[in-house]
Amino acid sequence: MRDDFDRPLWRRLVVNRFVVVLGAIALAIVGWNAYVASYSGGRVTGRVTDTAGEPVAGASVTLWVLNFTTYVEKARGVTDADGRFLIINRDSHNLQLAAEKAGVGRSRRVPVRLYFRAQDVELREPLVLVPTSQGGS
Amino acid sequence: MRRYPRWPIHMALLTVSVLMLLPFYWVVKTSVSGENIFAYPPSVIPKSPHLFYYVDAWYYIPFARYFVNSIVVSSIAVVANVILNAMAGYALTRDFVGKPFVLFLFLSCMMIPFQATIIPAYLITGRLGLLDSYWGLALPQCSTIVCIFVFKGSFDAVPRSLVDAARIDGLSEWRIIWKVMMPLAKSAIATNVILAFVWSWNNFMWPLIVTRSADMQTLPLGLARFLSYQEDTTGALYAFCVMVLAPGVLLFLLAQREFIQGLTSGATKG
Repeated sequence: MRDDFDRPLWRRLVVNRFVVVLGAIALAIVGWNAYVASYSGGRVTGRVTDTAGEPVAGASVTLWVLNFTTYVEKARGVTDADGRFLIINRDSHNLQLAAEKAGVGRSRRVPVRLYFRAQDVELREPLVLVPTSQGGS
Repeated sequence: MRRYPRWPIHMALLTVSVLMLLPFYWVVKTSVSGENIFAYPPSVIPKSPHLFYYVDAWYYIPFARYFVNSIVVSSIAVVANVILNAMAGYALTRDFVGKPFVLFLFLSCMMIPFQATIIPAYLITGRLGLLDSYWGLALPQCSTIVCIFVFKGSFDAVPRSLVDAARIDGLSEWRIIWKVMMPLAKSAIATNVILAFVWSWNNFMWPLIVTRSADMQTLPLGLARFLSYQEDTTGALYAFCVMVLAPGVLLFLLAQREFIQGLTSGATKG
């Protein structure tokens, strides 16, 4: 094994497991913060459809955020002609979303977990409005 | 000479290692699955693991603030331990009047539990005006007798002729410690760093007593606060534990070779 003292001083100081590991952690932290800065608009977007999969315009979408042990209503949005909605959330990383429209129905509450507050997120699955007589809650 | 098969030893060591690592695995598994610890039958593989419990732990309490507090206090304790214990350890390698008494005093003080000295420690810290400050949090942990003996054992292993040669060359006692002894005592330094860090990092009782404002609390106090905030937090609680444990484990893994050398140096000395 090569003697440690054979290497130049600068190399011993820089290339060692303490500096390399802690440097890698520091780089990961910087990278994560850069990612957070890039995607922290607080934009919660998604689609609302009916049971046939058709977009529902004018549906009201409600956003709840976790406040200790209960979810409290924080914001509302309305879908456009394509059934898409946009709600700004900067308060919580633990959300719930639900949509409803008179005459069409109501969706179930969908939990949404974020990796940081105000993270931009788009729902993978649309909120599906179910006629209330069929058990939508 | 007959060679015995090694696999039984390896199997035994592997079994013991698995048993030792099982609680750590269980903590990590629960932190990503949130599974109730009383679930029966318990699942060894986490079901649909995710990292959101770590996000919960980060936001439920001011984790970053507590983390910085713990880092600052532990750093003060580590630096003070290395400097003060090296000085004390070197002094104990020299001959002076009353040395056996000092050694006896140190050994006897090791037998006094910290809880018995909390009131005088609090009064002294208060008189110094250090309550609710980083220095006050670190003060009782700035030197530990065990670590003094680690340095003493390491310094005892240095040939006396080397110290005499340094003295003939004109080095003062201070410079002998820092220029001759310390470079030869890397294992003892690593042992001091790890022990001081872990003890300071995990300390609960002293920070509980000496801090008054929430901003000065450290991670162990944050854990207690976390428990008082939330009830159904199995996953987040275990995620918090992992986040608290990680720096100590990382430090140990980085310096384990020197740490083990430091603890065993002098053990086989004739």
